[in-house]
Amino acid sequence: MDRKENRTPQAEIARILVEFLEVAVTSVVFLKGVYPNGAFERRRYMNVVVHKARHPQLNEYIHSAVYGLLPFICKGLVDRVAVIFFDGGDVAIERFVFKINVNESYSSKVEQSQLEFSLRSFLIKLPVSEPLTKVLPRNCRWEITGYFRCLPEGSTSKDAEMWVPTDAKHWQQPPQITPIKSMSSEPLGLQLYLEQPSLSEPKN
Amino acid sequence: MSANSDSKSKRSFKSMSSNPSSSGNNSGDGKSSSKKRKTAQKTLGMAWGANSRASSNSASRNSPFADFGSYMAVKNQKLHEQFDAAASSSSHSASTSGKSIFRGVSIFVDGYTVPSNQELRGYMLKYGGCFENYFSRHRVTHIICSNLPDSKIKNLRAFSGGLPVVKPAWLLDSVVANKLLSWIPYQLDQLGTEKDNQSKLSTFFTPKKDGVSESAEFLVDGQQIFENDNQSPSRVDSSFPEDNASLEQTDRFREELDDHSQLNINKPISEEPACSVESSYEVKGVELNDSPDLDEKNSDLKHKSSTFQASVSLSSSSLSIHNSTNPSSSRTKLAPNQGHSTLVDPNFVENYFKSSRLHFIGTWRNRYRKRFSSLSNGYRCKSSSLNTAVNENNSIIHIDMDCFFVAVVTRNYPELLDKPVAVCHSDNPRGTAEISSANYPARDHGVKAGMFVKDAKTRCPQLVIVPYDFGAYEKVADQFYDILHKHCQKVQAVSCDEAFLDVSESEVGDPQLLASVIRKEIFDTTGCTASAGIAGNMLMARLATKTAKPDGLCYIPPEKVDTYLSELPVKALPGIGHILEDKLKKKQIKTCAHLRAISKESLQKDFGMKTGEMLWNYSRGIDNRLVGLIQESKSIGAEVNWGVRFRNRNDTRHFLENLCKEVALRLQGCGVQGRSFTLKIKKKRGDAGEPVKYMGCGDCENLSHSITIPMATDDADVLKRLATQLFGYFHIDVEDIRGVGLQVSKLEGADDSKLGSSVDTGAASLPPLEDLDVAVIESLPPEVVSEINDMYGGKLLGFISENRRKTADTNLDAISSRSGEDLDASVEETESFSAVHLVESNTIAADNESGEVAPPSVAVPTSFSLKNLMPSSLSQVDRSVLQQLPEELRKDIIELLPQHREPEFVKGSSSNVINEEPEFESSELKDLWIGNPPKWVEKFKNSTCSILNTFAKMYHYGCGGCLSSLLQRMVSEIFPPIDAGADGFHDAVSWLCELFKQYIDLKIATDMEEIYCCIRLLRRLCGRSDIFIQVNNVILPHLQRLMGEEYGGTLSIPPL
Repeated sequence: MDRKENRTPQAEIARILVEFLEVAVTSVVFLKGVYPNGAFERRRYMNVVVHKARHPQLNEYIHSAVYGLLPFICKGLVDRVAVIFFDGGDVAIERFVFKINVNESYSSKVEQSQLEFSLRSFLIKLPVSEPLTKVLPRNCRWEITGYFRCLPEGSTSKDAEMWVPTDAKHWQQPPQITPIKSMSSEPLGLQLYLEQPSLSEPKN
Repeated sequence: MSANSDSKSKRSFKSMSSNPSSSGNNSGDGKSSSKKRKTAQKTLGMAWGANSRASSNSASRNSPFADFGSYMAVKNQKLHEQFDAAASSSSHSASTSGKSIFRGVSIFVDGYTVPSNQELRGYMLKYGGCFENYFSRHRVTHIICSNLPDSKIKNLRAFSGGLPVVKPAWLLDSVVANKLLSWIPYQLDQLGTEKDNQSKLSTFFTPKKDGVSESAEFLVDGQQIFENDNQSPSRVDSSFPEDNASLEQTDRFREELDDHSQLNINKPISEEPACSVESSYEVKGVELNDSPDLDEKNSDLKHKSSTFQASVSLSSSSLSIHNSTNPSSSRTKLAPNQGHSTLVDPNFVENYFKSSRLHFIGTWRNRYRKRFSSLSNGYRCKSSSLNTAVNENNSIIHIDMDCFFVAVVTRNYPELLDKPVAVCHSDNPRGTAEISSANYPARDHGVKAGMFVKDAKTRCPQLVIVPYDFGAYEKVADQFYDILHKHCQKVQAVSCDEAFLDVSESEVGDPQLLASVIRKEIFDTTGCTASAGIAGNMLMARLATKTAKPDGLCYIPPEKVDTYLSELPVKALPGIGHILEDKLKKKQIKTCAHLRAISKESLQKDFGMKTGEMLWNYSRGIDNRLVGLIQESKSIGAEVNWGVRFRNRNDTRHFLENLCKEVALRLQGCGVQGRSFTLKIKKKRGDAGEPVKYMGCGDCENLSHSITIPMATDDADVLKRLATQLFGYFHIDVEDIRGVGLQVSKLEGADDSKLGSSVDTGAASLPPLEDLDVAVIESLPPEVVSEINDMYGGKLLGFISENRRKTADTNLDAISSRSGEDLDASVEETESFSAVHLVESNTIAADNESGEVAPPSVAVPTSFSLKNLMPSSLSQVDRSVLQQLPEELRKDIIELLPQHREPEFVKGSSSNVINEEPEFESSELKDLWIGNPPKWVEKFKNSTCSILNTFAKMYHYGCGGCLSSLLQRMVSEIFPPIDAGADGFHDAVSWLCELFKQYIDLKIATDMEEIYCCIRLLRRLCGRSDIFIQVNNVILPHLQRLMGEEYGGTLSIPPL
């Protein structure tokens, strides 16, 4: 993470955000207990205790997925990043959505410490929101899905090729949304909320 | 670990159709600023007016210190004295040349000008004008400037207050010409682009207007009218002794005004102070336009308490003014059809439907129904007897124009008569356009409708492609039906070129003779041929026509039906399409004879009850349908699946907006409203490439979402909102969208009484006499008044005069504190008249507001502005008037009626609240969260309601601009409970609702968490006071709708 002086504020924001997202996504996965607790180790990030996956493959998936978004976040293309938990089928049970709003016209220097301070609150709030979430069935799976504002230009980079269109099915009914944390600072707005199928959602 | 290995990194390119500002920022820019200004005046009076936002450029002058305001007042006064002194001296010296050409003109010079502002001031001194150092909308009549910064152009209305912005050359040229020239040619060039902008309704009701000016040729300043209004009663007295203002005078006066309206601006300005002229125009508008609608309006009004009556009728009549002054503006954007997809053509939807043949056919029926409604209505009732046995002697003619779409075009080109011709919207060399109709020579070559042009040309290289001519189609179709209706009473239109006639009871005995007469007449009139089939029922007649074509006549007598049918391939029967044909083919059924061999039961088993019966009947030539059966449409909608390509959400939003407009127009065209809305989307299948047909939809998945609302609507704005919401549910990548359709079902007729003419409004529906708005009645033409008078049994005229006496008294009291401005005697009459009208309604309102705290002298004039002009709810607005309004206007009206912004949510308990919600001056309600401290703090502090006071107090205790922390404190605060019936209860509810709504609008896009907190705290407060329960009921639907639009979901809220 060498910092270049000529980096644009957006690139700087994106870098901080992506780093944060990696931690946050891991926290979500830890929170949901998809894997045994032993699969994670305690770490300190932004002076908060967080968890990091021990398994290199898991680590790599989260890392590559989130860092694959970096160029797109820089360009302001990414609208949301969702961590989606599925039951056995393709139907989502729960979605943790990070809604991103990078100020494209922000031009002054990004105060990393301030931004990190705000982001830190997400990591504090996240574990507390555990009671809101649903218990996962045994054979669940999960994925990271990025929602783009519009399609990136074809083959901007090979990062883009790593990403494939999702075949995740959507709920029939608009979901129930529970906000977990929101921040809106000048350079970056970020909201984390929980989407759950509405009560009237047909079961399977 | 299964999860991990399974999940490769995925990305879905989706985007939501959310528009944070679309509903939140309903108030236009100009509107909000105007509100601000007016509010300022209400609280601090005239002195503050001088200090209002437009007059000051520096931030310091915005500081809300009354001291500074009074300082400015004094300063302005002194400047005036100086100017007057200078003027008198200069006019003495220049008395020879000093014709007061600028009399009544008061300029304010903005920025750098050539000549300088001091020189201009000199001119004004010399030629009897006024020069203002500080901008004031009340004193300044023209703004002079050479150049405007961009921000001011964008915010022109806020900046200019609706006053003309003129180049200094106007003054110079006027001096040279030695008379006051029209300023219009001297309008600032930069504003030229402004002209096309449709003015918002809000500007019409609030001080700054420029919409009306387009037709009236100058700017009407509402605020001035209200001002004048306040000053006039003394003049009312002097110029109109009580009871004296007879209707004749009204009438004469109107004529006068009519003359005025013909005048160029030069004249009024040079003769009279500008403001008075303006107000007279305003009145004229009201008078002229509300007359035709009065009856309807009054009958609408009867639901209302008398408090708002005045306001309703006034407002709706003003609406109709606007309508009539800008009739063309709604149709301004008829850009040539250049772009062929949603990407390039901003008016794609409009153009799409303009050049769509299917659309023409589809909408033709409405046209037809309107045109021949009286004729077709007559036997609609008969359609109930469906199953009556068909008379043996029935004779039905089916008449169908021969390749209508081609023939109409080619009839004027005899050289094309025998050539193969096809109609197609494009003769593009790519040849991927579809042929929509081909003539017989072309059909001989195998050219068929639906074929690609390139394929058609391979079959028939000499094929001539001609474009559509919708105008001609319409004309020919009308002629066609004129002829049919002339010869036959029972006509059932099938399409624009095809109809059934029931000639069983026709005087002309021989249907064949009649048919040939009709055919000849059609050819003579339209130049196109038609074919006719005659038989005992509709089915056979239709089949006969097939044999008859082209340009022929075929009669199938009952005894020949069997023979005719037995060899007929099943496909020829109506109602049998590809799928059914294929199924039949599998069963080795090819002709009707085959079909007849199968029992009805077995057919019904294989094809379903209805289809089976149909097959059984049709194969035997049985058709029990009666001519004239008109099927009411079950749904109305519009769908576009050609040329649909989107890049981003903005494209889709724009597209949806236009689509909704189209659908709304169709609904209105059919006079129906719908409750159920379905948004259909054609989504490109994952593996489908670019379709063969240029810009076509290709292989698509059809998706749909629908929503049902409790209140039927046909309003484009509501549709748009719903469509946006529905679109939000799709979570679809906009680039995959190949077609969008909006379908409206659960149709209800738009209230007929509202659409119908006022003539049949019976006496039973008359509103009580005391509920009538005298102002409106006075402005009616005398013949209408006398008609109404008759309906009331002659009591009306007495009522009017009595009312006028009362009003004049009240006015005098209320406004005696006002100082009048010096105006020419010649205009006093004009003005006092307007004053009578406006003030009257004013007083009615004031009487009913006695419970309010505001000192009456202030409350009366200001409470007038918006409140009295706007009806309390949408249901009070005359729908037929609303329908005729230009799109923009209608939108504004609905926006100004906040409780009906989302009629779909008006249900259950919340609807009660909404209806009871007292009216506020809308200006006061805007931008409650603007400023530091936010505007609401001051308002709440001055409120009579203790809860509101507590809110304000909490703010000052340091809760900051965060509503949740404020509510948090409220939860721990002790405040007296207020009962639902108590004074100020409804006020408090509406204030709080507005406070919450605006807060939600502000925060929804960025801070859901905060809103979530607020809502949960609000729910906790619900246990404390009924007020919060009501607020909660109103707020929740609003919030959930925004959530739907913004996040495509609903906020999960724990139960109370």
